[in-house]
This record gives sequence, C-alpha cells and structure tokens, in this order.
Amino acid sequence: MQVWLEPLIKIVLVVLATQAAVAYLVLVERKVAAYMQDRLGPNRVGPWGLFQPIADGAKFILKEELIPAGADRALFLIAPVSILAAATLAFATIPFGYLVPWPGADPIELTIAPKVDIGLLFVFAIGSLGVYGVILGGWASNNKYSLLGGLRSSAQLVSYEIPLGLSVIGVLLFSGSLRLETIITAQAQSGWWWFAVQPLGFLVFMVSGCAEASRLPFDLPECEQELVGGYHTEYTAMKFGMFAFAEYLHLITVAFLTVNLYLGGWHLWGLAPYADEVGWFGAIVRVLVLNIKMLLVILFFMWIRWSWPRFRYDQLMNIAWKVMIPLGVINLLVCAVCQEFLDPKNYLTRAVLGWLAVGGCVLYAALFAHPGKTRLKAPGIT
Amino acid sequence: MQPDSKQIKWVDEPKLGLAGRLYLTPLIDGLSLTARHFFRTARGEGFTRQFPEERPLFGNPLIYRGVHRLNKDEQGRVKCVACFLCATACPAHCIDIIGTESPWADREKYPQSFVIDELRCIFCGMCEEACPVDAIELTSLFDLTGASREEMVFDKEKLLSVYDQTCDLEPMRSRGPAAHSGPPPGKDH
Amino acid sequence: MATITVDGNDIQVGDDERLNVIQAADRAGVAIPFYCWHPGLSVVASCRMCLVETGMKNKDTGEISMMPKLVPACQTPAKDGTVVVTNSPKVRANQNFVQEGLLLDHPVDCPICDKAGECWLQDYYFSYGHQERRADVRPFTSRKRDLGEHVTLFVDRCVMCSRCVRFTQEVSGGSELLVIDRGSHAEIDVFPGFPLDDQMSGNVNDLCPVGALCSKDFLYQQRVWFMEPHDSVCTRCSTGCSIQLHVSQNQLYRIQPRYNPNANDWWMCDIGRFENESVRAPERLSSIEHRSADSKTGAGFSNRLWPEGLKAVHGALSEIAARTGGSTLAVVLSPFLTCEEAYLLATYAKTISADVVLALGKVPVEGADKTFKSGFTIRAERCPNRLGVEQILRHFQKSVIDWPALLKKVEAGELQGAYVSAGYPVAWIDEAEAAAFERLSLLVVHDILPSPLARKAHYVVPGVSFAEKDGSYVNHSGLIQWGEWGLTPVEGAHVDGQTFSDLLGRKGLYQAASVLKELAGIVPFFARAADGVPQAGLNLVTGTEKHPRTTALGTVTHPLPTFRSVGTAFLETEAVSRNGSNPISG
Repeated sequence: MQVWLEPLIKIVLVVLATQAAVAYLVLVERKVAAYMQDRLGPNRVGPWGLFQPIADGAKFILKEELIPAGADRALFLIAPVSILAAATLAFATIPFGYLVPWPGADPIELTIAPKVDIGLLFVFAIGSLGVYGVILGGWASNNKYSLLGGLRSSAQLVSYEIPLGLSVIGVLLFSGSLRLETIITAQAQSGWWWFAVQPLGFLVFMVSGCAEASRLPFDLPECEQELVGGYHTEYTAMKFGMFAFAEYLHLITVAFLTVNLYLGGWHLWGLAPYADEVGWFGAIVRVLVLNIKMLLVILFFMWIRWSWPRFRYDQLMNIAWKVMIPLGVINLLVCAVCQEFLDPKNYLTRAVLGWLAVGGCVLYAALFAHPGKTRLKAPGIT
Repeated sequence: MQPDSKQIKWVDEPKLGLAGRLYLTPLIDGLSLTARHFFRTARGEGFTRQFPEERPLFGNPLIYRGVHRLNKDEQGRVKCVACFLCATACPAHCIDIIGTESPWADREKYPQSFVIDELRCIFCGMCEEACPVDAIELTSLFDLTGASREEMVFDKEKLLSVYDQTCDLEPMRSRGPAAHSGPPPGKDH
Repeated sequence: MATITVDGNDIQVGDDERLNVIQAADRAGVAIPFYCWHPGLSVVASCRMCLVETGMKNKDTGEISMMPKLVPACQTPAKDGTVVVTNSPKVRANQNFVQEGLLLDHPVDCPICDKAGECWLQDYYFSYGHQERRADVRPFTSRKRDLGEHVTLFVDRCVMCSRCVRFTQEVSGGSELLVIDRGSHAEIDVFPGFPLDDQMSGNVNDLCPVGALCSKDFLYQQRVWFMEPHDSVCTRCSTGCSIQLHVSQNQLYRIQPRYNPNANDWWMCDIGRFENESVRAPERLSSIEHRSADSKTGAGFSNRLWPEGLKAVHGALSEIAARTGGSTLAVVLSPFLTCEEAYLLATYAKTISADVVLALGKVPVEGADKTFKSGFTIRAERCPNRLGVEQILRHFQKSVIDWPALLKKVEAGELQGAYVSAGYPVAWIDEAEAAAFERLSLLVVHDILPSPLARKAHYVVPGVSFAEKDGSYVNHSGLIQWGEWGLTPVEGAHVDGQTFSDLLGRKGLYQAASVLKELAGIVPFFARAADGVPQAGLNLVTGTEKHPRTTALGTVTHPLPTFRSVGTAFLETEAVSRNGSNPISG
C-alpha cells in the first residue's frame, strides 16, 4: 500500500465520520434534552426527526452572513476557521480502533498518525489552540458580551488545563508512554482500566475535560442569561455553525480521551482482550467497542448537562484552583508512590490505595471543608 | 437601598448536612430526576400532543378566550350598540369603534366600524365582561395567524364572519336583544 | 360676618355675600345634590333633590329651632344663624326617594347615552340612590325628538328640571322651549314650526344634567371619558368666551364654555361651539410653498422643506428691504394672532429694517353686535385679538395702519413686498381685494386655509388654528385670556409662534408663557400679565376683574372638568382683584 494513501484514507474517514457524528450528536442532544424535559424534540423532518441535521445544515449554509459594523473583519473570519481547524487536528493521534489486518503488509493501525510518541501532548497542545478562536471571535466581534465571553473562556480554559494535565500524569506513569495506542494496550494487557486504579485522576480528568469542552455546568463563556451568546453572539450562518461544530468536536475529543486513557479503549474482557494480531472480526469488534464506549461517555456528558445547573464564575475558578489541582496533585503522589514502591503487576493494591485516597478526600471535605464560605454576606456578619 | 439598610432581611442559607456538603447526593438526585423523566418519555408516557393532526381538547370551549367575534341577533344584524364599553375596559387599547345612528327603528346607535387589533389584544376577556348586550365574545379559536400586521386587524365584517364560523359550536351566552323591552320602541315626530 | 352651621360645623360668610344653602354648604365642604338649580338661572326648586333640614340658632340662648319639614336648599338663603343638616336619615331618605322616582321611568340606556360619564343622574345614583330596584321596569329605548338645528331631545331621559326652559326664557330670551302636559306625562317640547334655532341653542345641551338634550354635532361621536379637556379661548368674536376643547386621540370632538364672569359667564354661542371645521379641514395648508417666477399661471407652486423654506422667506424679505428700502415692505399682523405671536412678528419686522411698515390685518365685521336677554353678546367684530395687536402696533410704530389704509398703500404702489399673516377660520378676502396685491414683487402669506390671496403669494407659510397653539388674546373690553393648545398641528404646519421665533433666529422651542413675560416687560399695556394669566383672565384696561373662587369642596366629585364648567365650579363667583394679586395663578 502506498505510504500516502493509507493516511489519506484514514483522514477522509475520520473527518467525514466526525462531521457526521457532530451533526447527529446535535440531534441526539436535542432528543435527550427533550425527553428529560417531557418533550419529544425534533420529530418533523423525516422519521423521528432523523433528517433534522440535514435541515439544520442547509439552514446554516443558506442563512445570511452578517459581519457587524466595527468588527475586525480579518480576525472575525479567521476565528471560526481556526477553532474548527484546531478541533479537527486533534484527531490526528487519537486511535479509533486497534489493528486491521492487511494482506501482504503490516496490519494497519486505526490512528491517522500512528506511533507518535508525543500523542497525548499533541492532542493537548492542539486542543488548547481552540482558545485562540474563542478569544479572537470575542475580540473581533466588537461586542461587549462577546469580549466578556472570550475573556471568561480564555481564563477558564487556561485554568483547567492544569488539572487536566496533572490528572493524566498518573496514567502516563502506569502506562509508561505518551503514545495513546500504548496506553490502551497497557490497560488491555493488565486487564485493569485506569479509572478503577486511579479513581481520583479519573474524576479530575472528567471534570476538567468537561470544562475544557465548555460543556454545562462549565459553559460560562456562552452563558445565555448573562452574555447573550458569549463569544459567538455576533456570528451567523455557517460561521456560527463552525463554532458549534468545533464545540462538539471538542466533546468528541474529550470522550475519546476518556475512553482511551481511563476506560480501556477498545479492550473489553472476553469480547476484545489483548492480542498482538487480530483478524477482521476482532478489528471490527474493537472499533465498535471503542466507539460505543465513546458514545456512552458523550451521553453521560449530555445527561449531566441537562441535570445540573451552571456554576457561578467564582465557583468555577475555585473548583479549578482550590479543588481540582490539589486533587490532581494527590493523585499524582499516590501514583508515583505506587509506581516507585509496588510491584508493577500489583494493580489490586494500587486500586485499593487509589480508592483510599478518594475516601480520604471525601472525609476531609466532609469534616473540614466549609462550602459556601465565599458567598455574599450581610455587612458586619463574618 | 443600602446593603446595611434595616429594611433588608438577610436570610442565611440552611446549613448543609454531611451528604449535602459532599455535594454528591444533590448531584445524584439531579441525575436520577432527569433520568426518570427521560425514560418516562421514552416509554411514550409524555404529554406532548401532535398539534396540527391532533386538536387540543378544551375543558369548556365556552370559557376559552380566543379570537373575538361580534354576535348577530335573530335578524342577522350586528348586536353591538356601539357603547364603547369594551374599548373602555380594554387594557391594551386594541378596540376602535366608530359609532353612528343605526338604520333600524328599534335601535339607537350601532357601530359603523368596529376594529380589533388582534396583535395588540392580550385576550383578557374584559371586553366580553364589559359588554352590556353580549355582542362581543371570545371564541375558542386559538390558532390565530396571519401573514401581515394588516391582516391581523379584524374589522366588523371579519368579526361577524367569526361568529358565523363558530356559532354552531359555541352558542351565544344570552339570547335575544337585551335592551329592547318595555315601552314600544320608535322615534318621535 | 354671618355664622352658618352646616352639619355641626360653623362657617363664616360675609354679610353681603347672599349665598343660598347649597353654596354655603359647599363652602363648608358638604355637597348637597341638586338638578334644577343653576346659579345663572332663576330658582324653581322643582327637582326636590336638594331638600335639607334647616333651622335657626338663637344668638343669645344658643337654642336651635328646626323647621318641621325639609326645605329646598337652593331656595333657602344662608342667613346669620342658619343651621343646615344635610346628612340626617330624613334627608337621606328623601334623596333616595327622589332618585328612585326619577329612575322609575328613565330608560337606563346609559351604554348608548352620550351623557353617560358626566350624567348627574348616574353620579347621584351612586352617591344618594337606592341600590336596589323595586319596580319591575326593564331598560327601554328613549323616544327621540328634534328640537332644532343643533339639539336633539331624548324625551324619556328627561328629569324635568326645566333648566333648558328657563334658559330660553331668561338668558337667550327666545322662549322656544316649554313643558307640555302635566304630572308624570310632562315633556319638554317646542311649538310646531318654532324650533330652537337661535345662536345660543347649544347651551341647553350643557345645562341638561342628564342625557335628554344632546348636541347633534356630538351625538354618538365619542364617549366623554375618553376626552381630555384643554382650557382655551374662543376666537370667533371679540367677546372671547372661555372655552374647553374636548380632545381625544388628537381630534377635537366638542367645545364647551368655561365659566368666566368677566367674559361669557356660563354660556357661549353656537358659532364658536359648532363652526370649527377649519381646525381639522382637509384643505389646511401644510407646507411652505414657493411659487417660482417662470410659472405665473398659478399652478407652479413647489414645496419647500421647513428650515430651507423659512430661510428663503427671510432672504426674500431682507432682499426687498435692502433693495428698495424698509418702508416698501409691509408686515401685516392679523387680529387672529396671539399677543405673543404679534409681538414676535413685529419684533422680527423691525429687525429687517426699522422702517418696515407694520399694519393691522383685516378685522372681519359681520352685522351688528347681537345681545341676548341676559346680556351675553355676540360681537360684530369677528376676531379675538384686535385690541392686543393694536397695542403692540402702537408700541412699535405709534400709529396703527389698518387694512383699508394698507390696501391704499398697495394700490398707490408704495410697497414692494408684504408679509401677510392671516389665520382666519373662514374665507376672509375676495378676488378683488387680493388682486391689489398682484403688483407686489414679493408676497408672503401666512395662513391656515387656501385663499385668493394665498394663490397670488410668492411664498405660502402654513400656520395653525387656535386649537393648536398656546397664547393670550385681549378681548373687546381689554380682558387678556390664556388659551392652551389641545391638538398637535396638522402635519407639515408649524405653530405660528415657532415660525416667528425661527425667523427671528431665536434658538429652541417657542414657549408662549415666557414670550408673554418678555412682552409684559416691553409693552406697558401688558405689564399686569407678567406673572401669567389666571383662568378668568386679567382686564388690562380697567385693572379690575372678578375671579371665581375655588370652592372648598372642589365640587361634586366628577371625572370630567366639563361637568364643573357647567355645573358647580361656579357655586361661588365673585372675588374682585385689583392689580396683580391673582387668586388662581395662570
């Protein structure tokens, strides 16, 4: 097989699949929201509203493109492109399956760019680029709400990158690699998914990932009640569509990372165990397992979104700096101690220690932490 | 008002218990609530009605407050006597009447023009309450749409046609002319 | 001082005041209901609504001896020692029965009755009536009777107070109305062939406390509670009746007189009341028009926008004055201008050139003064402000050049240009007179309606009618009165005062009150008006006028001031003031 043909096919496949996934995730989200609110959601375009994404897409494309007076034209146009580009680029090193046998050649790895040793760093780096689009969009719109949305967004994304990074260090320690394929393989080989071994890290990662994807309860940058639409207030038609696309791509990225880092990737006991070589059947099963896990994570995020209220901005920051970072550090300490002093195969003890750490944190929170200390008080009352 | 004003009563939040302080139980409460609703709707036990195909049910169409109509008497004439009481009672000022001498012997005054701006109307039913001859009534027609503002300004003919459209389903709440008994009507000289 | 006790409270009344018990009680803050009594008419005491208990207090012993029966308050003089009880069960019972009796054969067609909302029967029903109906009488439609050009009688609504009959006998003097039949069959009527059509007939509509007499002009037009009143001055003759404009949604629905003991008492004539088509006439001038030189045929008018148009007018006037001298330019001050407008226009004329000829506009005269039995007069001089304009002219150029003198000057070719302000509500100039102005090289006409003169003008500036402007008028006797605007100007027209103020180059909105203050400081004739004009006006010639007293009660509670204008605000009238101390500020 041609050296350039294989990645090209994978690129096309991934880009098309993610675009379609985004379109239908919007539908799923609307349906989930509707069902949770005793409604039916979109059900007029096609059976069960299945063609709704197509109608939405057509609407995005056909609507009038407006550029507000006083906007910085160039930046205004670049912002949605950059955010969408960054979001799509992050998929380059994310595995969406395991191996596909290829007659007469090495099996193909289901990653656009396989064997990248800095895979996870690449995803984080590229993912962080998204914040530029947000800030540029907010700035270029020449609108106070947009600018505030952009500012909030930058502060939030920068803050939550720290716990996000801290939480994965434990995974890296246990897996011994930054390469995402290796991390999955490590979990598959051991038979332990890292979320069971490092529950604290998993929690921090989920919370921070949610915040990085600007999902509710962390969607301060576009909080409607305060900022109209946040950084994309002034965007219309497909430019707005690109922002929306990028947001969902972030969500998919976070879901993939969650699955790959903590939930065993394509591994499932019995059905898809670790193997050096897989046949066609095994390859398909592993793709399905991974993507179904990913979908479940996304559904979980949606469930959260329509169940919990949004944080206040100071609470958001407090959670990042005063809760998530210490938890991340504790997780890192526990992992480092385990890695240094325990037998590499002794995952049970590690898991026990990990859950003990969670219990200790819970105990501390219950006994010593004083929630609500920051809330507004009457003058004179301390 | 200043924050230290005596008029402000500051209420402290109730103290959280152990479970509450962990945030966990409230979070799980929220999740389980939405999950219950999700599965209830998914089982098909929702409340949604498919509107155009499935007409909504009214408990009593006679007390529904939808589009107005102008009632007609037995001879098919408009019942309204142009007393302007509906326009007086209207909190949205959406009724505009031009009164004039009626062409009929038994009636003093009648509306030369009777216009309701349905877009301005808030459907409070005060006009109906105010009417001394039960000439204006609100029907159960609720799906009021139009392609322009002008179209939503209903004149006398249109309001009378609403009566024709709805009189079978919703009979007038009173019968017969209200104010024409007693001494024989007619004009002197 | 006489001491009168009303419901246990003593009040002091001047010895020469000659009040009846209704007026005395009102001063004590007690309302006594009545239908038939009216301060401008004789007392008949026929409605029995005002019956009260009265008695006398012995000055020396303090002993009160009450009359055994109820007596009509309108007919009982309030003497020293009079004791009045208005709230005893006996009085209440009588009021109840009177109301019930009136309502027995009343149609109760209030929804279609034009009086509803300012009807005394309605108001008294709520204050004094039986709240339950004991007779089985259903509402019915009243019979209708044509009494004259302006008056319709709804026979069954009548409460037989006979105010209208007494009015035609005592005030207008025509005695057209009478009561026919007797007892419960009594009705108001006219003799066949003698309708009520003198020029005071509209007043009986105001006098009627119920909806029996209705003005044909206003019949079925609008409900009274929608209208807001604006105090104004009638401009149709030099009597200058105090009036109220009743306006709703920027439309003038009716005009009613306002009590003014110095001008019109309670009355006004039908000319001022009904002939007001000019206020909202469709042909009203509504833009500055410029007739270009190349289209002499008369059809060549082109519209100019306001600021540019006014600039062009100013330029043309200045150009004439500069080219052929100020004395060849005449500025005509119409007697329909308010004093403030006349002052501004005269000031403007003198800023163009000190030599500009100021002239008095045409003073329309119709026949002779027509005086009615009570002394109310319709003046032959059919303009509101000749005296005021003349005073201003005298101040600016010593002598008054009147319209005939101006015409002579025009015909003699002494003038090159003229600015003619008009504002006449009727046709005022014929082709022959207008033809004289053809020789002028510049004619600016400032008018409200098209006229032969306007068709000859080089510039036409639209003005506004009396209902659309603030300002003061000086009537035939020297009484200056303040009129307030009730309508916004027709689209395209500007308030005259604003136009003159703009021509003068003054900045901002024209405020008639401040211009009057300025005028009072400059022209000594107007000095007394420096602090504004009170409601009943100021007599600038004699320096003395009467001021209606605000009664303690502020009258019978009623939603519309209309009611007060014909009802009870005049319970007390005469307080004579001299030189400036105004009991009611303008």
